[in-house]
Amino acid sequence: MLKVQLLQKIPMPIQINLECASGELHALVGPSGSGKTTVLRTIAGLRQTSSGKIECDSEIWFEGNEFSSINKSLSAAQRSCGFLFQQYALFPHLNAIENVCIPLQNSNFNQDERTNIAREWLGKMGISELAERMPHQLSGGQQQRVALARALARQPKILLLDEPFSAIDTPTRQSLYKTLADLRKDLNIPILLVTHDLREADLLADRITVIDRGIALQTAAPQTLFQKPRNSRVAQLVGINNMFQGIFDSGKLSWDGCNHIFLVADKGKIPPNSRVAWVVPQSGLSVHTNQSNSSVSAIVEKMSSLGQIAVIQFRVEASENTIEWEASSAEVKRLQMRVGGQMHLEFDGTQIHIMPLRSINDPRRFQESL
Amino acid sequence: MDIEAILLSLKLAFWTMVLILPFGIWVAHKLLRLNKSRPWIEAALALPLVLPPTVLGYYFLVGFGGKNFFGVPLVFSFSGILLASLIVNLPFAILPIQRAFEAINPEIREAAQVSGLSKWQIFRLIELPLAWRGIISAGVMTFAHTLGEFGVVLMVGGAIPGETKTVSIAIYDKVQSFDTSGAGMLALLLLATSLVAIGTSYGVFGRNPSRSNGGGN
Repeated sequence: MLKVQLLQKIPMPIQINLECASGELHALVGPSGSGKTTVLRTIAGLRQTSSGKIECDSEIWFEGNEFSSINKSLSAAQRSCGFLFQQYALFPHLNAIENVCIPLQNSNFNQDERTNIAREWLGKMGISELAERMPHQLSGGQQQRVALARALARQPKILLLDEPFSAIDTPTRQSLYKTLADLRKDLNIPILLVTHDLREADLLADRITVIDRGIALQTAAPQTLFQKPRNSRVAQLVGINNMFQGIFDSGKLSWDGCNHIFLVADKGKIPPNSRVAWVVPQSGLSVHTNQSNSSVSAIVEKMSSLGQIAVIQFRVEASENTIEWEASSAEVKRLQMRVGGQMHLEFDGTQIHIMPLRSINDPRRFQESL
Repeated sequence: MDIEAILLSLKLAFWTMVLILPFGIWVAHKLLRLNKSRPWIEAALALPLVLPPTVLGYYFLVGFGGKNFFGVPLVFSFSGILLASLIVNLPFAILPIQRAFEAINPEIREAAQVSGLSKWQIFRLIELPLAWRGIISAGVMTFAHTLGEFGVVLMVGGAIPGETKTVSIAIYDKVQSFDTSGAGMLALLLLATSLVAIGTSYGVFGRNPSRSNGGGN
């Protein structure tokens, strides 16, 4: 189990609190410059924060606070972690097998045993035949496989992946996803993956932590994160298009710019008469040709066809609000949809998720969190 | 041909190169980790490039005149010109090695750190092999520059045959005594040696350094 608490005010604010169990793949996602790589490097011991605690399998790697300074900090070499770099960072003067042997330098194995272990790891990565090649003779995907073998060779307690797939072409990436998925079963160690690709995080991770400007905004399973973002910024960062604003008062949500009121479950977390952001997932929205008492009339503004899938953009009548809806081409045909045509949207109130509306720039946000 | 002067120049160049390289590697590596004091230290090390050799020779005479190092006099002796030569060659030895260390991609060092290597292991197994072009270049430049060193050697060592009279001083002596053909032979020898040395250095550095030091990543 990896437990990480990091707190720093300068030079950039960092406030992270996360746990990653053995066998779990935990993704850190956020926009460029959000501090996700900084978090990973701090865990690896390549940089330090002013205070916090990093603990792995009950062994403290770092502990310190602002007042009594740093109590304990193991060097990067002392922390047992495998680190995969975005640009592979293979040692350019060593061939593939020598690269994988490097982390075994301080082990009790002799040179022959080290070479055998390294060869075994290259075999697991499916590149045994490339053992004697120099890094510049390998493709990006092959280099990353060597780098992964090197990261795992000394059987680390955690594996840290810093955007490892971003410099690799799509087919190779798919095959590396499979390799990683297969390895996970055998490794049974915490794995942290930094990525800005939400689809990648959704595909690979058990849980996702959304980081923005150094602050962890939400940690949740991918499905929960996409359906129930904690606040409007998280919704924005996870790419939810159907996000709106309104006023929530005792279970009633009135939609800004429209005369519609939805009945939404009140969990008692939001004060009465508050301005809120709200989202509705794809499954909470249905489109009909006939009007009903609870439906919202909308005009088809744009239709984009992506093979078997069509993305429809509606504009709610007498308002500026637009809604995106994905449907199969067959469904679009059944509804006889055309640009400029009128449709009636039905919202499932039980699937509407409301969130506090607070700007990312609101200084109260950071002060409260400290 | 003044064989004695040639042998002395080769001896001086060899010992200067052998003694200065370990020190140059150590200083160049230390400079990587310095921040605030670095420009001043670099400036001090580069001084021999811009100061007239006579100025360095003057300070050397004032500083070491009449002093001994384990019983060996430091002026008008081979030890004296060797010490002076070491100081004059500092920038020629340190700068190429420093550039070679700087060209190593920082991620390579970090990869070594997270692979569990100690600082000494990182230096020995990763940094030193990646900086070899810079080290060879520093050695060649030091050797060639020492062969041609004139001002400081003359100020500190004079022109004692077999002790401090190097090829460049022998050329000067021969010109003074109108032995132009003897001077010409020695000058041609220095010219050829320097050309080969610098050509080797450029050749070593000219071949795609990014592949071997990770700088291209």
